[in-house]
Amino acid sequence: MKLKFNFFAGVTASSLLLTLMVIVAELYAPFKDILKAVFGHHWIGKVVIMAIVFFAVSYLYRDKKFSEKNAWYSAIISVSVILLFYIVNYMVSA
Amino acid sequence: MRDELLYAHILLALAVAVIAVIIIRQKNKSPLTKNLSILGAVVSWISVLPAGLLYLNFYPATKTLILSNAWPWAHEVIMETKEHWGLLVPVFATVAAWLVLTGKEKESKKWWTLVLVMVVLIGIFGRLVKLGALA
Repeated sequence: MKLKFNFFAGVTASSLLLTLMVIVAELYAPFKDILKAVFGHHWIGKVVIMAIVFFAVSYLYRDKKFSEKNAWYSAIISVSVILLFYIVNYMVSA
Repeated sequence: MRDELLYAHILLALAVAVIAVIIIRQKNKSPLTKNLSILGAVVSWISVLPAGLLYLNFYPATKTLILSNAWPWAHEVIMETKEHWGLLVPVFATVAAWLVLTGKEKESKKWWTLVLVMVVLIGIFGRLVKLGALA
């Protein structure tokens, strides 16, 4: 069975998008307010948007070549940047 | 209700970690790996539900307590990171499962290792958040 998804594309798009949403929501309050207004809570907004982007991009790019290396680095960068952002944000605001 | 959600949250995360360890330790291709991969990815998505219900319904009181205690960073850094890393775990587990299903078991192990490391770190972070409420 040939799977009709390219999850390398999906993980790249969704992990980087989540990182961007995390940073923008913290630094630009109106964005967090929009997520709250639309989804009831900013966290739910991030879950829903990220999941939709993950599966949609994985499906839309199913026939495109997408490197595993890019996907891997996007994942590691997202994980690292989220932690570093909150450390720096705490130190700046403390 | 809170305790049931907490147990579900911990048990589902443990299940994902155990599945990741079994797959990482598999030396040969086997149907077990494929079935476990699907299970691991599905369980990781399901685990977002109790985590979210806990976070939305019960964490706000804990957050207030942490911010008034000696370790505000337990919320500002640890919980904030944890609540977003938790969203990445099912995505990474899905990539790992997809690699197994497309015959790339060896390549999938790197992603399962990432899933395992993140689940362990999220568990440690959860403990730090709890300690932050008592600090």
